Amino acid sequence: MPMNVFEACFVINKIRGEALVVSTMSAMFAASAIAPGPHNLSSVPLMGGASGLGLGLAIAQPTRPVFVFDGDASLLMELGTMAQIAGEAPANLVHFVFNNNTQFGAIANLDRPGGAAFDFCAVARGAGYKTAHSADSIPDLIALKDKILGQPGPHFVELRIMPQPRVLTEMPQPELPDLQFQRMAAEARAMMQHLGTAG
Amino acid sequence: MAITDYAIAASLLHAEIKAQGVDAVTTVPDLIQFALHDRLKGDPEIRYIECAAENQALTVATGLYIGGKKPMVMMQNQGLFNCINTLRSVGIDARIPMVLSVGAFGREFSNLGKPTTESGRVCLNKVEPVMAALGVPYFHLETADDIGKVAEAFETSRKNECAVVLNIGFFPSWS
Repeated sequence: MPMNVFEACFVINKIRGEALVVSTMSAMFAASAIAPGPHNLSSVPLMGGASGLGLGLAIAQPTRPVFVFDGDASLLMELGTMAQIAGEAPANLVHFVFNNNTQFGAIANLDRPGGAAFDFCAVARGAGYKTAHSADSIPDLIALKDKILGQPGPHFVELRIMPQPRVLTEMPQPELPDLQFQRMAAEARAMMQHLGTAG
Repeated sequence: MAITDYAIAASLLHAEIKAQGVDAVTTVPDLIQFALHDRLKGDPEIRYIECAAENQALTVATGLYIGGKKPMVMMQNQGLFNCINTLRSVGIDARIPMVLSVGAFGREFSNLGKPTTESGRVCLNKVEPVMAALGVPYFHLETADDIGKVAEAFETSRKNECAVVLNIGFFPSWS
């Protein structure tokens, strides 16, 4: 049975342990709703930034797992980070990409470049990640646990998820709240307090 | 002045950067700062990370900073224009202190000793105005007499919690 972004984030949170989570786009809302706390850092409003933020964190905090929850179109925007991640090879990094082949999910559901044929795992393997896996369902995702936790990374996991249904077909778009522009600063400082790296 | 008078010794820049506690560099290497790149990459106390694009140099530096490192970012002026939105996000909205050492790619030798805003080339003459428009503090190093601006740039980034541009006006010398 196909999974949605909330179901996938729920399962990953169960195995997260002490991992830091850098997220963006739809996974960002799911991650912070399911497990709010100072372990979260949102790449917002900054499409494409999650993988670089996660790489920097993983290098600076080598004893703590770092999970990146990337978007498919977001990763395409900064695909070069896959070369950097493979080259720097942080053993503690797990790079998830939530692949719904869609941009602006739930708002407009536009197609993303490359379409369903674009093979993220092939790119990850070619770049030099230690492992690359794809999961189409919750049981698939659960089965990956032992392959990505406790084994040196960097690991790449493509989560093939269902697009969220469009909800704004007839409604005017809501104003973006100030929170959207302030949360990265607030979360960065909260994470630094959590890690003991502030001041 | 001779052309070589505009070449600040890479060893002097290296020492000033080290004095600020920098322990990591993220970069898309540039045509101007080769001698400084060479020293920083060879410094065993500095984690030197080559990036594929300037956006990534900024986001990796941000992750390093949150995780407890003291990164500096290096690129050239074209790269600075390439990463304006990420600079806005991490260096302004997210208030991450970071110094960007930016090489003045393409500077006419006839512009040496004059403000870069008087250059005939857009990638030179618009750097300072664009940074001013964004509210990003800007420091320009023209000769070794300006070396104190390195510490000033780092202090400004820490005090104001923001990104700061340190514009390197000419090729640092290999000495």
